[in-house]
Amino acid sequence: MKPAPFAWERPASLPALLDRLATAPGSVKLMAGGQSLGPMLNLRLVEPDLVLDITGVPEFRQARLEDGTLVLGACVTHADIEDGRVPDNTGGALQRVASAIAYRPVRNRGTVGGSLAHADPAADWVSALTALGAAVEIAGRDGRRTLPLEAFVTGALDVALRPGEILVAVKIPARPAGAAWGYVKHCAKIGEFAHAIGAVLIEPAAGRGRAVIGAVEGPPLLFADASPLFGGRICPDFAARFDAGAADAALIAAGMADRVARHVHVTVLARAVAQAAGQAPTHVPTTRPEAA
Amino acid sequence: MNAALAEIPGRTSGRTPGNMALALTVNGRPVRVEAEPRSHLGDVLRERLDLTGTHLGCEHGVCGACTVLLDGEPARACLTFAGACSGAAVTTVEGLDGDPVAAELRAAFNREHALQCGYCTPGMLVAARDLVLRLPEADERRIRVGLSGNLCRCTGYAGIVRAVMGVIAERRARGIGPESGAERALGPVGARLGEAGATPVTRPTPVPATAPAAATVAAPARVTDLDAAFTPTHSFTQTFDLAHPPEAVFALFGDIDAVAACLPGAVLTGRPAPDAVEGGLQVRIGPIGATFRGRARIAHDPATLSGAVRGAGADAGGRSATEGQIRYRVEPGEAPGTARVLLDVGYTLTGPLAQFGRPGLVRDLAGRITADLARNLDARLSGAAAPAPAGLNPLRLLADLVRARLAAWRGRA
Repeated sequence: MKPAPFAWERPASLPALLDRLATAPGSVKLMAGGQSLGPMLNLRLVEPDLVLDITGVPEFRQARLEDGTLVLGACVTHADIEDGRVPDNTGGALQRVASAIAYRPVRNRGTVGGSLAHADPAADWVSALTALGAAVEIAGRDGRRTLPLEAFVTGALDVALRPGEILVAVKIPARPAGAAWGYVKHCAKIGEFAHAIGAVLIEPAAGRGRAVIGAVEGPPLLFADASPLFGGRICPDFAARFDAGAADAALIAAGMADRVARHVHVTVLARAVAQAAGQAPTHVPTTRPEAA
Repeated sequence: MNAALAEIPGRTSGRTPGNMALALTVNGRPVRVEAEPRSHLGDVLRERLDLTGTHLGCEHGVCGACTVLLDGEPARACLTFAGACSGAAVTTVEGLDGDPVAAELRAAFNREHALQCGYCTPGMLVAARDLVLRLPEADERRIRVGLSGNLCRCTGYAGIVRAVMGVIAERRARGIGPESGAERALGPVGARLGEAGATPVTRPTPVPATAPAAATVAAPARVTDLDAAFTPTHSFTQTFDLAHPPEAVFALFGDIDAVAACLPGAVLTGRPAPDAVEGGLQVRIGPIGATFRGRARIAHDPATLSGAVRGAGADAGGRSATEGQIRYRVEPGEAPGTARVLLDVGYTLTGPLAQFGRPGLVRDLAGRITADLARNLDARLSGAAAPAPAGLNPLRLLADLVRARLAAWRGRA
């Protein structure tokens, strides 16, 4: 349970970090809080030649509101969000997600940027921030670019970072006035990686909504337009119109063959919908018969 | 600053190349120790500073036994590498002797029989102290949730929860309120800005990134009997369609070398018997890379256009092992002259990869490998040039391995 030997460097600025990332020989891993990479190193599943500690870059440890958009530096921790040390433009949604990630000692070091770059499908931020419509800012030696989170996460533990690039910040749009938020995850034990995640952001007045089924085997399943989940139209009584069969069909189309797994995911999504509507779930969703 | 640093005798002189000099404040005392970059704080405390009160359990962040205070906040010592906390203040259970909250907790743990073997207790006290400081009231559910990251296998938690509830209730009754924790700087606790960046680091001799030097490779797992009955731990199915007649697809499956060439990351190194192959497969899931080597036995049934591959293998260190089987069947596709291939995959995985891995991640990987395989098979059946190897293709490296054996790629799939 000891990592293979690696060298450790801690650049003090972003240009220095990007230079080192581009020029260091051998394999390099970036580390923020180390709460995901640490176990992999200890288990020797990852054996880099060099670990670049990114927590020395001041820009990564800032948070600010820019025209209503919350910009979180990559090294802002879950506990920073949980404790309210960063501004909130989501009506407490971020705080509630953060406070249920793993355990407090993990939240004290684990970071939002590290979690997204690690892209574990069962982790909270990948799903929650996709539902909230967040984007990530990426820096390389050639400049910066911004990607919507759904374009950034490309697979299980797989993201759209090119060699030499680093995730520098997460940009979270303000939750629209009157938008309902529901986020539910299912864990067999508190603090473990989720078996299923459901997240919805519904604007009943505008007839709009986003929904995410997370903790699937690849990137989260995003409904950028959630209306098919509600009979084709999002209205104030959206929770009563939730169509479990439509969610189940989407999971089948996404390749989730296991009927029990689909049932769990649809149930958790239904609970997120009910939570957004401010009510207890009133019905057990029915899933379609097993596809041939 | 140097004058204030207490040298740990015999532990900082003659620094080993590659080690880092680490300045910490441990239990209020400035210390300077030398540590390998790969050593975590738990090992630094126990091995270098003889502070054995910090216990190591799982060493991957799950059990909570190693929880210490880093700049005053609970953190996992096993997931905090030496360089990540340079300059930080560390408080271990030994440093809590004079802490008033810890004193109340010790009395309550004693009173409520909140420990038995004591292995979890140092971490449990640190976590409990954090709850006493932060929770507004003695809420049993929030206490249980708060202690869920500290595993205790003796007490069933009843006494621990009573102890923590008691201390919180007493303190709130005395008018001592909770702390908000709102005042600290952003970022991981223990990671100080501007201090550790100057820590000199000597790089160890660089190792080429993907060179599994033959001399260091442990003997691959022996496949004692690939014909024995096998019950996989996990199983799933994969299906893909090819725009070629089923007979042509099945015929290609009979050409082991051709199939291996279409499988990303795979290489064959030997054919010990007509129905057996040896070789390897390199797979990558995010930052995890593993090269499995082993042996497989292959069967074909032309009458039913079906077959089976049964194999076993181990990764380079021989620590993770896998065993698996794939049954395949080629059926007519929906359109005339096309084929549908059904794969029935079962596998068992042991070792660190299994400890970390979740079946869903393996299925996602299998889906990507299958998609590549289907694309490459289609190209070959269409008479196109051999597909370009995937980016991380290790074929040449593996071919050099003297004793390389077949990867149980179906085990990985």
